Amino acid sequence: MQSKWDIGEPEKPTINSQTEQLKSELLTLNMGPQHPATHGVLRLEIWTDSEIVVHAIPHLGYLHRCMEKHAENLDYRGVIPFVDRLDYLAAMNMEWTYASAVEKMLGTEVPRRAELLRILTCELNRIASHLMAFGTYALDLGAFTPFLYAFEEREKLLRLFEEVSGARLLYNYIWIGGVWNDWNDDQLQRVAAFCDVMEQEAKKYDDLVSYNKIFVERTTNVGVFSLQDCLDYGASGPVLRGSGMKWDLRKNKPYSLYSEFDFDVPVATEEVKKVGGQVGDCWSRYIVRMREVVESIKIIRQVLEKLEPGPVMGKVPKIIKLPKGEVYVRQECPRGELAFHLVSEGEKKPYRLKVKSPCFTHVSMLPRVAPGQMIADFVASVGSIDIVLGEVDR
Amino acid sequence: MLNVDFNKLADLINKNVQDAGAVVNVPEDTKCDSSITVSASRIYAVVEFLKTNSEMPFNSLHVMSGVDYVEWMEVCYMMTHFDVQNPREFILKIKITERVSPTVDSIVNLYAAADFQEREIYDMFGIKFNNHPDLRRILCPDDWQGFPLRKDYVAQKEYNGMKVFPDSKMNFDDREFIVRQNMIKKAQKQAAN
Repeated sequence: MQSKWDIGEPEKPTINSQTEQLKSELLTLNMGPQHPATHGVLRLEIWTDSEIVVHAIPHLGYLHRCMEKHAENLDYRGVIPFVDRLDYLAAMNMEWTYASAVEKMLGTEVPRRAELLRILTCELNRIASHLMAFGTYALDLGAFTPFLYAFEEREKLLRLFEEVSGARLLYNYIWIGGVWNDWNDDQLQRVAAFCDVMEQEAKKYDDLVSYNKIFVERTTNVGVFSLQDCLDYGASGPVLRGSGMKWDLRKNKPYSLYSEFDFDVPVATEEVKKVGGQVGDCWSRYIVRMREVVESIKIIRQVLEKLEPGPVMGKVPKIIKLPKGEVYVRQECPRGELAFHLVSEGEKKPYRLKVKSPCFTHVSMLPRVAPGQMIADFVASVGSIDIVLGEVDR
Repeated sequence: MLNVDFNKLADLINKNVQDAGAVVNVPEDTKCDSSITVSASRIYAVVEFLKTNSEMPFNSLHVMSGVDYVEWMEVCYMMTHFDVQNPREFILKIKITERVSPTVDSIVNLYAAADFQEREIYDMFGIKFNNHPDLRRILCPDDWQGFPLRKDYVAQKEYNGMKVFPDSKMNFDDREFIVRQNMIKKAQKQAAN
């Protein structure tokens, strides 16, 4: 007998005409310009299908300060502070590249001590920049503590730079013909002490973050750039090395005194397979940076051995006039290859100064890697190319 | 410039690409870099040849730069070969004399790097690229007027109701005003004749 409470078989849901008519469309999301994961004022317009990114369009120009236009109306020395403001996390490297472009056209000989001090400051700046990249990348992925560890060490470097140049970020320290100020023995000893501490710290970072299971899961096999992609887009620096090419201008086309130094060019090809990733993913790019810190320490130690007293400024005319012509000068900066295309018409001002910014190139690779990623993975991909918007927008 | 024999490369281009017109520019000062100028209408074929040939291949486009010499404009392609054993680089140039609506063939199909670079050249110099998939301004706002890195450019005074470049902040010793004035004088003279 049928009970009063028996309601029988549940009714099967049928696809009626109403559900068929339900629309599904892509949702457009604006990541940025004020988004913590974009490290500055980058706007990424992403089209999402629920949690999956279908398409990403970078919108640049929020930090465009017309640097190239300004440079055309400044004398050659006056450009250096503007160059600082391109990549404000590695300003020494920016200054050096510009100075070497002018020196190449001018034919200036830079004293040996000045060249060594340039290598010293630029490698220290490289460490500071990679520490920032390390800290903020962990922050992007939800780990707050590594950021504080990184800033503790970075602070020591900024103090040193402040003593030597008078500024913490925008130094105006490397001038045409040499460097502005000499380092004293006390400061050099502190650099040596910093190297010892940093070597230990690098190991600690590996334990804390690099081989951390959550970090490895978040970054391996995510945002993979093949080597062909990298060449096609003209990528350089840690992005190119992360994709397996052992290319470093300091080694393959040695400028300044780099040919005298003994150091390796780290690539991630073997290490990344041990943690289960594939070459060219976010973890490879991250680990290349961490290994570069160790190589920079090697170079700095060799500089400290080689340093001998001497002048730090070469002979440069009071008013710099360059011959008619053009040069294209490339150097290896923390984020990739920076280059200046300097055109002179024989006047006191540059006729044209084009900046080849590595980050500009790398941002153009984001639409390539975005389709099919989860939004959170896309954030990991954006963080792994380590962009500085000052350099992208110039 | 690195590992490039300019005369040999220019010969190679002339031999393999029809009407390429490759000429080596040797600077007056030896400290400066040499470059190769090719005919603007054949740029796509030349770059395609540089990418695919087996003798002297270039696997990457480093950057594109533009220069305005008032009488003509130049687009410079910094061709690079990333190779640990045998790296190469050199400047490839085209000359454009048209100022009102200059157009060049796009090379996005060959190097993906050209996508953003060509957009920047368009933004700064107003050179249009045929067959570019998405030719918009990149650094300036979409509704900005004029092309900032041309030598005769004078910034607009008002943008969407905002005063962006007041007279008090203008430096009339800047190069663009002098160039602009010379151009106006020249045009007036021509009109008078």
